[in-house]
Amino acid sequence: MPWLTIIIVIPLLAALAMFIVPEGDVGTARLVAALGAGLTLVMSVLMLANFHRDFPGPQFVDHAGWATQVGLDWIVWVDGISIWLIMLTTGLFAIAVAYLCFRTPDRPRAFLALIMLAEMGLLGLFSSGNLVLFYVFWELMLVPFYFMIGMWGGAGRKLASIKFVIYTMVGSLLMLVSIVATAVIAHGITGVYTFDIVALRNVDYTRPESIWLLAGFLLAFVIKLPLWPFHGWLPDAYRESPIVVVALLAAVVSKAGVYGLLRIGLPLFPRGMAYFQYPIILLALVSIVYGSLVAWRQPTMRMLVGYSSLAHLGFIALGIAAIDPQAAQGAVLQMVNHGVVVVAAFAIVGIIATRTGKEDIDDIGGLAARAPWLSGIFLVVTMASLAIPGSNSFAGEFFILSGTFRHDWWAAAIAMIGVVYASVYMLRLYQSSMNGPARGGDPRRVELRVRDVVVLVPLIAVMLFIALWPQVLAGASSASVNAAVAPAQVAVGRPPSEIRSVVLPNPLPATVSSASGVTGGASQ
Amino acid sequence: MNTLAAAPPIIVATTALLALMAGLFPQRLVRREGPTVIAIVGMLVAAVMSILLWGNRIVALGGGYRIDHLSVLFNLIFIGCAVITLLLSVNESSGVDRRGEYAALVTTATAGMILVAGAGDLIMIFLGIEILSVALYVLCALELWRERSLESGLKYLIVGAVGSSFLLYGLAFLFGTTGSVNLTKIGASLTQASFNTEPLLWIAVTLIIVGLGFKASAAPFHMWTPDVYEGAPTPVTAFMATATKAVAFVAFLRIFAGPLIDIVHTWQIAIGVVAAVSIIIGNVAALVQTNLKRMLAYSSIAQAGYLLIGVAAGTVQGAQAVLFYLLAYAAMTLAAFAVVIIREREVDNGEDLASFSGYGRARPFLGGIMTLAMLSLAGFPPLSGFIGKFLLFGAAAEQHLWWLAVIGALGSVISLGYYLRVVGVMWFGAAGDPEPRKLLNVSSPVTLSTAACGVAILGFAAFAGPLLTVCQQAAMSLLSP
Repeated sequence: MPWLTIIIVIPLLAALAMFIVPEGDVGTARLVAALGAGLTLVMSVLMLANFHRDFPGPQFVDHAGWATQVGLDWIVWVDGISIWLIMLTTGLFAIAVAYLCFRTPDRPRAFLALIMLAEMGLLGLFSSGNLVLFYVFWELMLVPFYFMIGMWGGAGRKLASIKFVIYTMVGSLLMLVSIVATAVIAHGITGVYTFDIVALRNVDYTRPESIWLLAGFLLAFVIKLPLWPFHGWLPDAYRESPIVVVALLAAVVSKAGVYGLLRIGLPLFPRGMAYFQYPIILLALVSIVYGSLVAWRQPTMRMLVGYSSLAHLGFIALGIAAIDPQAAQGAVLQMVNHGVVVVAAFAIVGIIATRTGKEDIDDIGGLAARAPWLSGIFLVVTMASLAIPGSNSFAGEFFILSGTFRHDWWAAAIAMIGVVYASVYMLRLYQSSMNGPARGGDPRRVELRVRDVVVLVPLIAVMLFIALWPQVLAGASSASVNAAVAPAQVAVGRPPSEIRSVVLPNPLPATVSSASGVTGGASQ
Repeated sequence: MNTLAAAPPIIVATTALLALMAGLFPQRLVRREGPTVIAIVGMLVAAVMSILLWGNRIVALGGGYRIDHLSVLFNLIFIGCAVITLLLSVNESSGVDRRGEYAALVTTATAGMILVAGAGDLIMIFLGIEILSVALYVLCALELWRERSLESGLKYLIVGAVGSSFLLYGLAFLFGTTGSVNLTKIGASLTQASFNTEPLLWIAVTLIIVGLGFKASAAPFHMWTPDVYEGAPTPVTAFMATATKAVAFVAFLRIFAGPLIDIVHTWQIAIGVVAAVSIIIGNVAALVQTNLKRMLAYSSIAQAGYLLIGVAAGTVQGAQAVLFYLLAYAAMTLAAFAVVIIREREVDNGEDLASFSGYGRARPFLGGIMTLAMLSLAGFPPLSGFIGKFLLFGAAAEQHLWWLAVIGALGSVISLGYYLRVVGVMWFGAAGDPEPRKLLNVSSPVTLSTAACGVAILGFAAFAGPLLTVCQQAAMSLLSP
């Protein structure tokens, strides 16, 4: 059964179905979107149930030709890393659609169709097993977000949308050049002209080749993440977009950048990653500190959460740049955690903003007295966001920090500052909005209603689940993470005792390749 | 059998005469619809004829004309562009009495293009280019009552003549160097060429690049393009931007990727530089345009630059990429112009970008087509424009022309600035047009051809596999003499 293809196609069908829905028929539009997102979620859960957790390679491989003579193929698969990102995507998009069904935006057909298209783009991105397909989906998800920001955004939406696209495209078009160059140069080394990610793993490029090829990809990744100083698009996009779009940008789209590092950067260009290791670590640290400091001084709730997200993504990037299996494991865990937590935080911000009509932190206060449920859930989210021991984020950040500490104690030490700052800004947000004297608006209106519970409870449940059993995620992804990190570990010269996966040279020496046939790539 | 090979150009040329005569008929109905119908039917017959000849390699007219995969593919591109141009001009407000001339001139130009595509010697290349150029000079100035149209025709005449003379001079030098006008013989003599002929060859190559650069409106030979495109009647502009550009590239391929392929080192850098300059100038200048036709003119300069990347690669992959991108480019450009044509009939200032404010919401179908065209021109996957760019960059990378690929990528980033502006104005702009919106009921041939272009943008991408096989066969036919 072509699981992944079905999972990718369902949202596309839902988006296309919106064309048939008569104009003004909001009910049907909601139903179509809910069915699309729901079915995708169900399918992905079923796929997860059939997932082999100890197998490090690709699973659920779907393969079909497109323009095979130039290396364009439809090849999708998941491994222990991408399956969690796919679960994150399907889950969060289902929640986003639920949120939108209760608070229908104007022109709901178009908005819901774009949301479904964005979901398709992200699912395709996280499952593509071919560099060109990766690029196709990378760009494809940009288009719906461009329209969602441009058509439903605030006053400065035009500038915000164009900035968002141009920033991202600067990186991604150079990535396209890099993709082409990768295939051409790898062809010279291995004798195979291919864009298949598995077949291109650990190709024996010279150091400059590896560095330059990676540089093209890296720019795209750090802009998408974003890391300081490539975050220029972020403030405008976060300020002007509808809250659902901001949540999805922070929770899922940003993961595309991290995923790129993990899927392409480490395994394909280990020498390049060794070269760029400290630059990335440095940018990640600056992002953590800068994001935290800026978040602390933000006047509005959404910008505070937005910048906190920048800091958290710095943590995740640090986990990958540490080139350590444990840190990378933590990064994968944290990708899921951050997605869930930041969506919950944005959902609460959205609820408060729509009910009180205010977004400025100074205008909101004392909500806890009249809205105890909201404040209780907000407290859980706040604690998760600052990674207090016992929360879901704790395990992830702990893995990242301890993995980083092993080789670069100073980086871990600086990153610790971020943890401290997190409590500063998150507690500022919580205290000033929930405690203290009531300011502005009628706090009773803010209390959670059924529609909010539908959105928040699943998120809280996932948080609790991961907090209690992080090893479910960690266990199922560790084999893939180890395999992804191992080539880069060899490149930076880690002791063999730390390398937890076999690194095969590519191309294999003639004697070995005839015996095992591993270069063939994607096989279940 | 040899005459059969020359059937497509003969059919199209005859059609031109018939269309011209139909325009002189006394009955008004025949005068109004006759020329267009005759021209379209005639060209479709020629297209079917070409398809039937697919797979044959026939030399006709004493080596001057030949049928191979490449010429058949280009016949189809030219005829497709011409038919869509004619369909888009159905019910054009210009006088009924001019219909015969209009259809006949478009068809004549097509005949000239077909000759270039199948050219077996240098004379046929020049002859074909002149036939189509003369037809286009008149077409540009067809709206006699508009000063801009006259200006456009005159400008094109002067610059076109300059370009043609450069080309002719270059072809003459090539003839002088190799002693033959026949492309196959030129190729054969160049493989065994001694090096002392090189200076002459350099001159020949440079002059040919300049001459064809004028025709392809590549920078720095592009100055005429914005004015001519803006002034000419919009369907004619659409025809020029697609078919005429394709002619220039088939001439590039016939000369450079054919006989001159063995001396690729003499011209690779020159064409690469022209490509890079076109990409930069076209994209940067397009950023500040407020007139859509001018903007599309500059965009076409940049697109010529992308296409030249494939020529500069000087390989079968490069030629294949050029062919695929030309197909995609024709579809996207025609789609964009089709929407402009429709808008021009709705409001007076229909070519101004401002008149498109909120157009997407008012006319979702046309807005959608325009969006598709813009996104594809900008190279968003998975549209056909992306696949074309991907192939072109790939061809450049294979020849280690990294700088060209990088400039191409950066140019694409710049191009987002204006392509997305169109999209933004259409969908994000306020629909508060000061004058009441005139939304005409667009006649069905126009809608049909607009939709066809939109479908082609998607279809070329979806069926890239088989299409690329065709393009590859066509590209291969360049090499085998």
